[in-house]
Amino acid sequence: MDYLYDGSFEGFLCCVYAHYYKEKADGIYPEEDYQRSMLYPFYLVATESEKAERVYEAIQNKISNASLRRVYRTFLSNDPQKETKLLHYLILGFRKGRMIDSLHSVSEVYNVQQIEKKVANEQHRLLGLVRFSTIEESKEGSNSESKAHQILYAPIEPDHNILELIADHFAKRLPMETFILHDLRREKAVFCQDGNWYLGDLNRNIRFTVTEDELGYRSLWKRYFDSIAILERTNPACQKRCMPVRYWKNLTEFH
Amino acid sequence: MPGMDVTLEKLKILADSAKYDVSCSSSGADRTKAKKMGTAAVSGICHSWSADGRCISLLKILFSNRCVYDCEYCVNRRSADVERASFEPEELAQLTIEFYKRNYIEGLFLSSAVENSPDYTAERILKALSLLREKYGFSGYIHAKIIPGVSPELVREIGLQADRLSVNIELPTKESLAILAPQKKAAGILNPMRQITNTLEEQKSLKGAGNRFSKLKQREDLLLNGLELPVSTREQEAKYGILPYKKGDLYNFAPAGQTTQMIIGATPESDRQIIKMSESLYKKFQMKRVYFSAYIPVVSSSKLPALLTPPPLLREHRLYQADWLLRFYGFSAEELLDEENPFFDLELDPKVTWALRHIEQFPIEINKASMEELLRIPGVGNISAMRIVRQRRLSAVKFDDLKKIGVVIKRAKFFITCCGRYYGEGEIAPEKIRGQMLSAERIKYGLLPPNKEEQLSLFGTERTHLLAAAKEEQRGLLV
Repeated sequence: MDYLYDGSFEGFLCCVYAHYYKEKADGIYPEEDYQRSMLYPFYLVATESEKAERVYEAIQNKISNASLRRVYRTFLSNDPQKETKLLHYLILGFRKGRMIDSLHSVSEVYNVQQIEKKVANEQHRLLGLVRFSTIEESKEGSNSESKAHQILYAPIEPDHNILELIADHFAKRLPMETFILHDLRREKAVFCQDGNWYLGDLNRNIRFTVTEDELGYRSLWKRYFDSIAILERTNPACQKRCMPVRYWKNLTEFH
Repeated sequence: MPGMDVTLEKLKILADSAKYDVSCSSSGADRTKAKKMGTAAVSGICHSWSADGRCISLLKILFSNRCVYDCEYCVNRRSADVERASFEPEELAQLTIEFYKRNYIEGLFLSSAVENSPDYTAERILKALSLLREKYGFSGYIHAKIIPGVSPELVREIGLQADRLSVNIELPTKESLAILAPQKKAAGILNPMRQITNTLEEQKSLKGAGNRFSKLKQREDLLLNGLELPVSTREQEAKYGILPYKKGDLYNFAPAGQTTQMIIGATPESDRQIIKMSESLYKKFQMKRVYFSAYIPVVSSSKLPALLTPPPLLREHRLYQADWLLRFYGFSAEELLDEENPFFDLELDPKVTWALRHIEQFPIEINKASMEELLRIPGVGNISAMRIVRQRRLSAVKFDDLKKIGVVIKRAKFFITCCGRYYGEGEIAPEKIRGQMLSAERIKYGLLPPNKEEQLSLFGTERTHLLAAAKEEQRGLLV
């Protein structure tokens, strides 16, 4: 039996609940991407916050806080098998308790650890690879207060759904600024003002006008970027290994 | 920002001159609360990578490249014909803020040539840093370079604004310093270093390099390759009273400690002299890092390698690997290289080189070895050693587990037994192991298996050219 859920973390936890209290699951998949087949039975699990909360607390109390974090971060990855791998991890976890954190060579743990590592790496990488631009507050802009306030805007296209993992960092770093951090791939955005942020939807086709200064600072940055490289040490392979080309599209130094 | 064109010109000149400074680290300071703008992450964050593959974390720039000194190896020496420029403190502060706001950088790394005098330059640097900290409320990372010969009051004031300070040791011995940088005196370099270490000790925030030197308390009795230590500047410091340091102050004195850097390959020192020097620096001054910079010929001089000599990049890499062994793996410089073998094997990493020279200590049984012994096995790092120890408490570690634990099998297999069994091929003999490791490497890089008679001529790749060139260069310098 395959369990399908609505794509939310709560929904996934409800599938885990159903695995224990209804029928054993062979796999868990988001409803959207699932290839339905006549031959293989599946069941759509409804998301209920009470059940989700019970599983959430069980992970925290019966396994460990570290595992709860690991499960959540793994869930944010784009691995197509992540839910099923997490299920196997949790089944083992409920048997072994907190000891699971040291079982590095068991395949259930190893699989999840590998995915978690990818998510954590991208999270850390993105802290550096976000590029803000200053934009005009509104497109028409009333003339009287046109220069009153600048907004920072940064588009990103991460592999994993790490937007909410990096929001705190920027909210703390730029407490006086208003900024939008936009995940183009998932059409979500973090809106932050005075150090508080919330997560919302934002269309990927939205366009902003950058301020006049912005182009000047971009060229300064680009000039700096080009001058700081040592010609005798040129090493594009190393550059690309550290900063994969798929991120370059949103980096101002390459435009 | 007014005058952006002027700034653009200056930025080009002054970044171009700063690019030979090595450190880009933004780690070591932990500030989670911003004053107006900026935090510092303990782990450091890289923001981009330039075409040479080095990371860009800080806005690494010179305040000025107008220099009164005439150091042989330097692009900005007085007699060089290069474009000159200097920033205004306000201009630089504003540039930093605008870059930081856009998340281009993690902070500022400010160095400078000696314009007029060391103190004049230091005052200008201090002005820029104070503007940043006070006017703009910037609480991001700042690394400031201390120019040799700066007066102690200014070192202290700059230290109160900066997260990290560094004084360049420049060259590994006093003799080389005297030949190549006659205006820089050993005392001018070591005095501020000592002052920084003492101040950090007074404020009880002195933390040494990595995890291996913090326990050592033998700082006083080491020799620095002829750069004898000056009398402690403590008496001097007493004049200025105790630092106005309170716990919880936003800006205390250089919370991320001090570092230094030296040039590799401009002078004939051996690897042994170099790592012994960096070990003494770690022990004596509790440096956070000692950086190496492969010398790139910028001037033709009888005292320096010829203009087209390629920079000894591979040698620099090996030295950094050895530096890691000193800081995180419990090795001492004396163990790594002795009188008879004063250079590292360029083809193998220093840990393997060490293991092959001490083959009698191997193989080591994974399930019985102590943490210290595990760390000495090539292919085993800090994390995998810790995981082995943790997992051993629950069940024996089997050979197949090692890969999942993170051990690099292709190196480790020659040096371990797992549950009593040896997994290498054939006997444990240094020459055989060396041959096997190198041929594995060659296969990985898509090269032909080695032909015993003419090994070198077969490998026409960039890598082996580099190797050959580096070897040549070593030979040339030794003569």
